[in-house]
Amino acid sequence: MKVSYFETGRYRAPAEMPATWPMPAAAYDTREGVRVFRGMIERIAIAEKLGFDWVSLSEHHYSPRILTPSPMVAAAYVAARVHTIKIALLGPIISHSNPVRIAEELAMLDTIADGRLVVGLLRGTPNETLTYDLNPQESRERTDEGMELILKAWTEPRPFGWQGRHFRYRTVSVWPRPLQQPHPPTFALGTSREAGEFAARNRIGLGVSYGPFEVMGKVTGYYREQCARHGWEPGPDQLIFRANIILAETDAQAQRAMEVYPARAPFSLPEGVASALLTLDARNIAGEARSASINRALPINFFGSPDTVVDQFRRCREMIGAGVIDLGFNTPGTSDPAALLDALDLFGRTVLPRIRDI
Amino acid sequence: MAKMGLAFRDGFVDADGFRIRYQEAGKGPPLVHLHGAGGLRLTSAHDLLGCAFRVIALEMPGFGAVENQKTQTTADLATTMAAAAEALGISRFNLLGTSFGGTVASWMAVQRRDLVAALVLDAPSAIRPEGSEPVSGSPEEIARRLYAHPERVPPMPAVARALAARRLAIVRRLRGPGRDPMLEERLRGLGMPALVLFGTRDGVIPPAMGRVYIELIPNAHLVFVYDAGHALMVERPVAFTEVVTDFLQRTDAFIISRTKTVIYP
Repeated sequence: MKVSYFETGRYRAPAEMPATWPMPAAAYDTREGVRVFRGMIERIAIAEKLGFDWVSLSEHHYSPRILTPSPMVAAAYVAARVHTIKIALLGPIISHSNPVRIAEELAMLDTIADGRLVVGLLRGTPNETLTYDLNPQESRERTDEGMELILKAWTEPRPFGWQGRHFRYRTVSVWPRPLQQPHPPTFALGTSREAGEFAARNRIGLGVSYGPFEVMGKVTGYYREQCARHGWEPGPDQLIFRANIILAETDAQAQRAMEVYPARAPFSLPEGVASALLTLDARNIAGEARSASINRALPINFFGSPDTVVDQFRRCREMIGAGVIDLGFNTPGTSDPAALLDALDLFGRTVLPRIRDI
Repeated sequence: MAKMGLAFRDGFVDADGFRIRYQEAGKGPPLVHLHGAGGLRLTSAHDLLGCAFRVIALEMPGFGAVENQKTQTTADLATTMAAAAEALGISRFNLLGTSFGGTVASWMAVQRRDLVAALVLDAPSAIRPEGSEPVSGSPEEIARRLYAHPERVPPMPAVARALAARRLAIVRRLRGPGRDPMLEERLRGLGMPALVLFGTRDGVIPPAMGRVYIELIPNAHLVFVYDAGHALMVERPVAFTEVVTDFLQRTDAFIISRTKTVIYP
């Protein structure tokens, strides 16, 4: 099993900060911002030394929770400062941007990072459509088309035009090309039927997140079925599971950490916006309709002492089949970088060596 | 984009010893269309093309009511179809070839540079991977091979079994090898504007074949039509017509966008 450390920036927001998204920019503390990016490199260097395989970065906006609205910029910075760990962008939000630009930036990053890039292509959380004024009803289609265009831009050897539904280009010819050929390890991110089918059809991996093992197992099972239909079988490295972990020396200590853990929704929206979005943003799990996750706190999938957590990893492997676990320690968005470093260190010493063979 | 349902009129023209049926509509520079293996069938893309061009869709001998054992190769067929266009009094035209018709159009373009002003190849079948088979079977099987989303396309009009078999037989007899060195050599010297289109989900000819054409034909353009199968004109008529029309009107300069992005002037 490979392990990835999910780096979010760890901006320390004062308790009195308004909780609804978008957060007012006036509340931003510039000096804290500088600490965030310095700390990012320190934490990733520690994760690398502890033996983590990947560091992951992702794209979110208008909030201190994850301070990397451009994961590309963050990845370039990390690539220049930390030298062996793989850098996983999980991921750029495809519907937000010009897909050709995304293909170019990722190819640049793979080259700068000496072939250490891992790419997840993401539709984004429901609030994200508001960021750049996109219609939530179009986000699935834009994402699918953008993903396909990125793969084409990486692999097509000669200039080509694209007559899409949402994108049109008369001539595309990306320089540089990715160092890893034909392209970096790439994953569609999401639990929907569409994400699974896209990944299967294009022979790329799938990344799922935050759900209970059983439900995520259904999603990865669906993906495997679709891969078989397209005549191939994904290996464990082609499945990522992102989850939160609260690790402590003992189960009792983990329990105490859980009690003080602020179970807050990641991007809390005003009620009127949330209910309108719920009617517009159709989501599903492997084809089964579900409502979008809005104003709900994320679950903690791994929780307890090292022994307990190792057992959970074993069960996770059996039920989901993912060969890469991407971990948010002490829940991203909560503060106290010192406690985070303790948890990372504890994980590296007591859990990591025991889950390699799972 | 355009009003649908242009009135195509049927006509016949005698050329090269054949009586050739055609359908014609629209105003503008002439655009000759050569159909695919399934025969001449008008689509809404024909209607849309008719807004900018005088569209003449020719039926190749052997694909309609009358059998054709005389034609021996796609190069022969190209000679016949060029004669048909000339017999209609058209001395210079844009040429659009679909699938099997793309092979015939490629031959016509290399044989008759005097006639063909610009060449558009729509999912052409002149270059095919080994083992590639023409589309056949029940209407459902055919739809599954032709379209990325058969469920979104209205069912095809029924075709008499004997006619379908005859079309399949003439395609098999004439289509030639998957790689034809003689045609490829001549395409290298093609001097006219050329556009090649493939659907990203073409299940008949892999869209990767598009690369071969642009490697062969000097200054040719390759365009992928997203989320379409083999029958682009049926599945994505608006996207297809927009790029074909723009290319034929502006040739190489079609890569310069004219799309306005102003929201509130």
